[in-house]
Amino acid sequence: MNRFVALLKKELAELVTVQALLPFVIVVIAFGGLGQLMSSVVPEREATVPVALVDRDGGAYAHAFAAALGQAGLKVVAVQPDEPQAAMRRAETLALVEIPKGFSAGIDAGQPQRVATWVKVRGFSFLGNEHGTRLLAAVESANAAVAAAVAQKHAPGTAPAVMQRPVVPEQHVIVGERSAQASVEQVLGFVTQQTTFIPVVLFIVIMFSSQMVASAVATEKESKTLETLLSCPVSRASIVSAKMLAAGLVALVGAAAYMLGMRQYMAGIEGGLRAGMEASAAPEAALQALGLRLDAADYVLLGLTLFAGILVALSIAVVLGAFAESARSAQALLTPLVVMMLVPYMLSLFLDLQALPGGVRTAVMAIPFTHVFLAGPALFMGDTRAVWFGIAYQAAWAVAFIAVAARVYASDRILTMRLGRRR
Amino acid sequence: MQPVLEASGLAKRYGQLEAVRGIDFSVEPGEVFALIGPNGAGKTTTLRMVATILTPSAGELQVCGIDARKEPARVRERIAYLPEEAGVYKNLTGIAYLRFAAALFADDARERDAMVERGAEVSGLGERLRDKVGTYSKGMTRKLLLARAVMVRPDLAILDEPTSGLDVLNALEVRELVRGLAREGMAVLLSSHNMLEVEFLSDRVGIIANGRILASGTAEELKRAHGARNLEEVFARVATGGGAE
Ligand SMILES: Nc1ncnc2c1ncn2[C@@H]1O[C@H](COP(=O)(O)OP(=O)(O)OP(=O)(O)O)[C@@H](O)[C@H]1O
Ligand SMILES: [Mg+2]
Repeated sequence: MNRFVALLKKELAELVTVQALLPFVIVVIAFGGLGQLMSSVVPEREATVPVALVDRDGGAYAHAFAAALGQAGLKVVAVQPDEPQAAMRRAETLALVEIPKGFSAGIDAGQPQRVATWVKVRGFSFLGNEHGTRLLAAVESANAAVAAAVAQKHAPGTAPAVMQRPVVPEQHVIVGERSAQASVEQVLGFVTQQTTFIPVVLFIVIMFSSQMVASAVATEKESKTLETLLSCPVSRASIVSAKMLAAGLVALVGAAAYMLGMRQYMAGIEGGLRAGMEASAAPEAALQALGLRLDAADYVLLGLTLFAGILVALSIAVVLGAFAESARSAQALLTPLVVMMLVPYMLSLFLDLQALPGGVRTAVMAIPFTHVFLAGPALFMGDTRAVWFGIAYQAAWAVAFIAVAARVYASDRILTMRLGRRR
Repeated sequence: MQPVLEASGLAKRYGQLEAVRGIDFSVEPGEVFALIGPNGAGKTTTLRMVATILTPSAGELQVCGIDARKEPARVRERIAYLPEEAGVYKNLTGIAYLRFAAALFADDARERDAMVERGAEVSGLGERLRDKVGTYSKGMTRKLLLARAVMVRPDLAILDEPTSGLDVLNALEVRELVRGLAREGMAVLLSSHNMLEVEFLSDRVGIIANGRILASGTAEELKRAHGARNLEEVFARVATGGGAE
C-alpha cells in the first residue's frame, strides 16, 4: 500500500505542473468572466424598449392599441408618417409599428386589420435582437386589448375573456407512469436545459483523463524512466493503476473546475434570457410530480456511470499508450478512443439514441460510452434499470481492458513493442 | 557459498534475431563481474534479463536462489538496476526522486529515510538535490541514478555502463564507490567499454560477442591465456577472431 501511495504521489507530481494547470485556470476565469458579462447585459434589457409608432388612423382602437403597447413594456415614440427607415432614424429606435389608415373603421366593419412592424436586426445574436421579440410579444398583448375594446362596444353583456379566448387548453403530460399539468415544451425545455451540460462535462473529463494516462505511459518511455521503474519491487498492476488513478483524479478536479466556470456562464445566460424563457418554464410542482427532479440516489447513479466511463477510457488509454514511443505519438494512438466517444456524443446532442433504426442502434449501444450519455435522460425517465445495465456493461469493458493492460505490462512487449517497426 | 547470480544456457531472441545465444556465467557475493564486448553483442539484453524486465527465451536464471523466470517479483526485492540509457522524472527534485525510489524498496519509513540519506551522500549532489532534476547536467543525473541503485543495498547491483557520461574525476569516484560496496558484500554485474575501468573494478570478466561468451576469467588469466599485455588486446583478439573459436 505504501508503495502504491509513493507511485501515486509521483504520478501526481508529474501531472500537476504549472503548464498543466494553466489551461484549467484560464478556462474557469474565462467562463466566469463571460458569465459576468452576460449578467451585466441584464439591466440594459430591463429598461423599456423604445419603439416608433406611426398612427395613420387616429381612431379609438388605434389609441387602445398604442396604450396597450406602452403597458407591455415598450416606450412608444409617436412619429409623423414617413418612410419606415427614416422614421426609425428620427425616433432613434430599432423598431417601428405602423397602424394603417381606416384601422378602427375596418375592425368595426368586421375586417381583421394588418399592423406592419419593422425591426432592424442588430448583429445576429438572440441577446442583441431582443427588441424584436419584445415588440412581437407586446403586439400580441395589444391585440388582446383591442379585442377587449371591440367586445366592450359590440357585445357589452359578454365577458371580454370569452370573446377573446373561449377555449383554453389545459395541458397534461405523462412521463413514464407519472402525469402532471404542464406542456410538452415546458418539460422538454427543462430537461434539455438540465442535461445539455452533462455530455459536455463527460466528454471533457473522459478525453482529459485518457490523454493524461496515455501520455504518462509514453513519457515514461520517452524520458527513459520506464526500465528503472519496471525493475523495482512494485507490481505491474500497481504501476498501471497508480497512473490511472492519478489521471482520473486530475481529470475530475479539472471537470469540477469546468463545471464551476460553466455554471457561472449559464447563470449569466439565464439571467440574460430569463424574459424569453419565462413563458416556457415549467412550474416546480409539475416537475416534482413528474419525477423530473433528480434526487440523491440519481446523482449517485450518475456518478457511478461517470466513474465506469472514466475507467473504461483509462484502461483503453493505458493499453494504447503502451504502443507509443513519445507523448506526441500517444495522442495520435488515442484516435480510436476519441472516435468511440465522439459518435455517441454527437448523436446524443441531436437525436434520441433509443430511436435509431435497429442495426445502427445496436452498433451505437455496443460502444461503452453511449451508456454514459444515456444515463441522464434515462434517469429523468425513471429508468434506473437501463442505468444499471449501462454501468455493468461499462464495468465489463473496463475489466477486459484492465486484464489486457496487465498482460501487456507484465510481458516485455511494453519495452520492445512498437507499431510499424516489426521485425 | 551460493552464488548471487547463476545463469545457464540463457538466451533471448527478438523475433528472428538471436541477441543472446545461450550463455553461462555466475556472480558470487561481493564479486564484480564485468561483461565486455562490441556494440550489439548482447550485453544490455543480458543485463535486462537479469533485471527481470525482459523474459529469457530459454535457459535458467537464478538470483539469490530464486528462479527469476518463475518469480520475478521476488527477485526485484533483491536487485537494483541502472539502465544504460536512463532518465529521471523531470518534475521531481533530486531528493524527492530518491525518496520515491526508496519508498518502493523500503518496508517502513525508517528504512526509507536511511536509504535516502545514503543516496544523498553517494550522489554527492549536496544542495543541488533540492533542485528539479530537469535542471541537472547529464553527469549529475547519472550520479543520481547510480545513487538510487546502490542506496537500497541490493544483493546484486546491475550496472549497464555505470560511468558513461561522467568526467574523469566523477568516474574515479564511482569506481571507488562500487569497489567499496563490493567489499561490503554486494555483488555487481556490469557492462563497460572502458578497459581501464574493467581492469580496476572487476574480479572477473566475460567477453561477449554475437550473443556468446567467448572467454571469461580474471583479467590476469585472460591476459596470460592470450599472451596480451592488457585487456584491450585480449578484447581485440577474442572479439575479432572470436567467431571461429
Ligand atoms: N527491443 C529490441 N528489439 C529488437 N532487437 C533488439 C532490441 N534491443 C536490442 N536488440 C538487438 O539485440 C542485439 C543486442 O543488443 P544489445 O543492446 O544487447 O547490445 P549491447 O551489447 O548492449 O550493445 P552496446 O554496446 O551498443 O550497448 C542487437 O543486435 C540489437 O539490435
Ligand atoms: Mg548496451
